Amino acid sequence: MSSVLAMVLAGGRVDELLCLTEHRPKSALPVFATYRIIDFVLSNLMHSGINNVGVLSQYRPYALVRHIGTGEHWDFVGRSRNIRMLPPYRGFKASDWYKGTADAVYQNISYIEGFKPQYVLIASADHIYRMDYRPFIKFHIENNADATISFTRRKSRSSRFGYGVIGRGGRLRNYQEKPSKPPSDWVSMTLYLFNCDFLIDVLNRNAKEESHEFGRDIIPNIISTARVFGYKHEGYWAYARTVDSYYNTNMDMINSGTTLKDWQIRTNLLERSARADRLPAYINGDVVNSVVSEGCIVEGKVRNSILSPGVIVQDNAEVVDSIIFHDTVIGKNTMMQKVICDKDSRIGEGCSIGGFGKQTVSREFGDLLHSGIILFGRNTVVPDKTRIGANTTVYSSARISARCVDPGSTLR
Amino acid sequence: MRGPGEYVAMKKGLIAMLLAGGMGSRLNILVSKRAKPALPFGAIYRIIDFTLSNIANSHIDVVGVLTQYKPLSLMEHLDGGTPWDLFGRTRLVEILPPKTGEASSDWYKGTSDAIYQNIGFISDFAPEMVLVVSGDHIYSMDYNDLIAFHRDQKALATVCLVRVPSRDVQHFGIAETDDMGRIVSWVEKPRSSKSNLASMGVYLFNRDVLVKTLSGAARRRGTDFARDIIPAMMKQKRVFGYIFNGYWRDVGTIHSYWQANMDMLQSSSGLDVKEWGIKTSLAAKGEIGDRPSTYIGRTSLVKNSLIARGCVIEGEVRNSVISPGVMVGKGAKIIDSIIFHDTVIGARSLVQRSIIDKQVSVGSSVCIGSGEAIPNKKFLKHLSTGISIVGKGAHIASDISIGTNCIIMPDRQLNTARHKEVSSGSTV
Repeated sequence: MSSVLAMVLAGGRVDELLCLTEHRPKSALPVFATYRIIDFVLSNLMHSGINNVGVLSQYRPYALVRHIGTGEHWDFVGRSRNIRMLPPYRGFKASDWYKGTADAVYQNISYIEGFKPQYVLIASADHIYRMDYRPFIKFHIENNADATISFTRRKSRSSRFGYGVIGRGGRLRNYQEKPSKPPSDWVSMTLYLFNCDFLIDVLNRNAKEESHEFGRDIIPNIISTARVFGYKHEGYWAYARTVDSYYNTNMDMINSGTTLKDWQIRTNLLERSARADRLPAYINGDVVNSVVSEGCIVEGKVRNSILSPGVIVQDNAEVVDSIIFHDTVIGKNTMMQKVICDKDSRIGEGCSIGGFGKQTVSREFGDLLHSGIILFGRNTVVPDKTRIGANTTVYSSARISARCVDPGSTLR
Repeated sequence: MRGPGEYVAMKKGLIAMLLAGGMGSRLNILVSKRAKPALPFGAIYRIIDFTLSNIANSHIDVVGVLTQYKPLSLMEHLDGGTPWDLFGRTRLVEILPPKTGEASSDWYKGTSDAIYQNIGFISDFAPEMVLVVSGDHIYSMDYNDLIAFHRDQKALATVCLVRVPSRDVQHFGIAETDDMGRIVSWVEKPRSSKSNLASMGVYLFNRDVLVKTLSGAARRRGTDFARDIIPAMMKQKRVFGYIFNGYWRDVGTIHSYWQANMDMLQSSSGLDVKEWGIKTSLAAKGEIGDRPSTYIGRTSLVKNSLIARGCVIEGEVRNSVISPGVMVGKGAKIIDSIIFHDTVIGARSLVQRSIIDKQVSVGSSVCIGSGEAIPNKKFLKHLSTGISIVGKGAHIASDISIGTNCIIMPDRQLNTARHKEVSSGSTV
């Protein structure tokens, strides 16, 4: 696969995930206890034998820079193997902040040309799936395509995706980005394969336009003028575009038997000493249908929850339907229900979090936070005996002083 | 030794020499495919991690590791020293296997012979002192306290000593010290002794004295620190005993190995791996690397146990230490046991007071470790406290029942037709 260069779109800033993406791009968001979302696409590239990768990132990239490191965790280090972060840069003229996905790639054309690849694979870092890209590449080559887009089938139609209509022989007949009435149930995975020359030509033309997105501007444009094909991918494909979808995707790990074991997802083992210096999980409580990571100490009760490394659940505490990130401590006699809690938080003793006010949607983010989930940003400190209602968001700089936080609140 | 004025590229005040060649034969089948220092411990560690972490935590940055017996898994585990931050321009872990081609080279004939054959390695760093440690023990120690003691006493050699129960003196070198801490008597593995100060296999030497004594011993065919070197040095009088007061276990027998693992679950035991800052290697294949976090199922119960990554626990686990990738089926019970990597325990099986090595497959409704307390007939000295051990890669078919003090050899296939019942004390 030396003829393929991968460009990974990892910079997306998303407001929909509220305080979870306050300090990191979505691709760096923890998922399934010990991974970051970008691990899935990087592992796919590695298992597909694609050795050279550029990562496009501009929103608060340091979590990502640290995570990717030299790339050794995905075997991207060697004479003919490498991974590079490609941040925005200033040049003599056009360079500026990336103005869209296509612009991000356009501004790095010289990086692409340096590798002289035959094909450029463009993949979003925001999706969770296992895919061997080789059959996809083969499909593209066999069809003598200029560009191929990978689609996955989703029965429930939503206006958050791009939809394709794939004709016989795989030709892409129609493509609509975020349509109010989807024309099919084939959803774009934001995974494209371009012939390199064709891509550069298309990007150069798009650069003169006003808008620079692959889904919105480039794909609809090239369907009629070039050989564009749609590839149908089968298998698990999940995303985290909203708080609800992020929550449900995580819960797939315990509820739908997603067999991550066979996926061989690789992650940075050394970051935050996730593995090296932590003991195995010590469990002396009551844990059912949950994921527990190394360094956790569980004395209390855990139900249908996912614990990242180093989480401590003290005596008689109860964690239900929750996702708890690294090194958070949950005090004695505290009850937590349906909470997504970011790293290094301290939840006091005797608190009651969630479990009341589910009907009250978030006053500020009613369309994003309405299913009862509570979000705690990084380093949240909850004093002893605090009560916090459902659909509440606590940003990481917020100080909680009230004894009772009403449902639907936003604290900053 | 180098002449005066010769250039020393990497001068060090002190280097460590780690003896990792031990067979540990009393550990029976647990060491039939690996050296004792490479034996898994505490779910994710290997025994050598404790000594290596002690070295790193004491800021000693050059380590020679002497290997001889089945060194491959050990070499992979060391991973160039990176897990212990012993990798860099002036920081290193070097594997020193036996070699040929020099007058003195040969298989290592004993602990001191191994060091003698590597005097060249030691001289490269021109250290003032050489710390000789064994990779066989579970303990946490800041060697700087030992170094300070050695300097204060103006000792030529200092031996670390630890108090052991009187009944155990027969397994150790036993020393007596005077008021000043000087060693006045030294007996190797006595039947009984009025002293219970046992050698920890940790020695600190002034390099010039060490080199001279090693060379002298070699001429008289002496090959062992405890038997030949320490007695020879004692003639020069300035051999001291440094008494270590912390947790220290030899884990040289199956029972002591099992007990030390159980100590991981008991905060009052004094074994506190987290506090000690013990690091392990992530590189070795199948270790921790590519595994997802552990899943605890809907019908499971876990009490007082350590569980590593990549496990799927559907049954009950109590007072046990579970390594990465272990599967425990529905209704199965693991009690007071140690399970190594990637072993599968089938549904409704019962495992009690047992050590199950890596990649063992146990069918459903199997019973291991229950029954009469009959010591092992073939290895009475190895197994008499009720612990059963199953060797790496063994396969135990469903419905088989295995008693206490049993040994199932590595890679054995037990089928129901021939081995329905393995009575206590048997070896298969």
